[in-house]
Amino acid sequence: MCTATAKLDDPIDGFLSADEAALGRRFIADGHVIRSVEDTAALDRIRSAAAGHAARHLGIAAPNDVGGFLNRIHEQLPVAKLNDLRLAVFNGMNAEPWFRRSYFALARGAIETLVGNELAMQRRINLSIQMPDDDSSLLPVHADVWSGDSPFEVVAWLPLVDCRKTKSMFLLPPAANARHAAQFGTYSKGTAEDLFRVIEPELTWLDIKYGEILLFTQNLMHGNRLNREGETRWSMNCRFKSLFSPYCDKRLGEFFEPITIRAASRLGMDYRHPTGFEA
Amino acid sequence: MTPLGYRGYIASRPVRGSSSPQHVQNLVIRDFAQRNGLLFKLSATEYAMAGSFMMLDAVLDELPQLDGIILYSQFMLPDRPERRRAIYDRVLAEGKVLAGAVENLTLRTPADARRWEDILLTDRFAAREMPVF
Repeated sequence: MCTATAKLDDPIDGFLSADEAALGRRFIADGHVIRSVEDTAALDRIRSAAAGHAARHLGIAAPNDVGGFLNRIHEQLPVAKLNDLRLAVFNGMNAEPWFRRSYFALARGAIETLVGNELAMQRRINLSIQMPDDDSSLLPVHADVWSGDSPFEVVAWLPLVDCRKTKSMFLLPPAANARHAAQFGTYSKGTAEDLFRVIEPELTWLDIKYGEILLFTQNLMHGNRLNREGETRWSMNCRFKSLFSPYCDKRLGEFFEPITIRAASRLGMDYRHPTGFEA
Repeated sequence: MTPLGYRGYIASRPVRGSSSPQHVQNLVIRDFAQRNGLLFKLSATEYAMAGSFMMLDAVLDELPQLDGIILYSQFMLPDRPERRRAIYDRVLAEGKVLAGAVENLTLRTPADARRWEDILLTDRFAAREMPVF
């Protein structure tokens, strides 16, 4: 008689390579991974272009010290004009024909390992700019799946400056997230701020440097707080999902677009059975 | 050159499984036109009968007098790929523009047409709903 019991919580590695399996296990255990970008030239191009769009919006010359310029942008304009700047850079970047391909190149290998090699990518890459002590750019604790995102999505979060502590974002690790999610009803009379207070002791603040990229599951609670670090945070974020996995409110066309349709899928989608038979 | 304008095209039947009031569809088209600096001409309203594209065909016949057509959504196009391709071919042959307002997508080149098809085809095969356990 076989007495072995299946450990159902263990992910099955199948034919994944040892490296792929290790990355997947880490991602499931921690809900995120932070890695060096896979294409540093693409990263530098993205950051320089973002700084260029910002400088143009402000009517000043493109900076030589790009990192310093971004970190100290709060010295150049008041918070009241921040959203105009954000929109100018957001629109400028998303109009660059190379932008999305370069963004994907930053973490292509890791995304393909964690998500799949047949992918849909968000059509417009988001930009966050969070100045010190600015309370107009806060993201209260949330999980994107609570507001229309598919749980199959992974977020690629890219800092354009070094981010740490309150200049960065927080994430609730999977075990704590599962525990709080199971008793979510008990929080229903409170606010998102009340929820933050409850989960605060268990949060992970993600320290991440320029040159690195964060991949995380938006099924976990996350958000940001008032930036108390004295420098401005610049970050971008973009969602990737397996092309044929379930979509929720963020749909193909409006929000996502296929980026790596494989030949067999093209053939399959085009296939029609022969016709002309009579019953 | 004086712009000829863009004809709107709205639906009387569900698009992607959901219905939007026609005045809301027109607002979305008008907003798209405004954001892109396009002259918006009154929308044509497709008949409610499933599979009918008589109004779209009429707008396509009007193409020589237009700069293009702004669909409320690219998902209003016919289900059959060959029928869609005939529409793309006609728009491209006349040097006009097809736009999807909800998706904020335009079709001006054969590459754009392939991009539209990738989205429409994939959407037919991709899972739409999360199972409920």
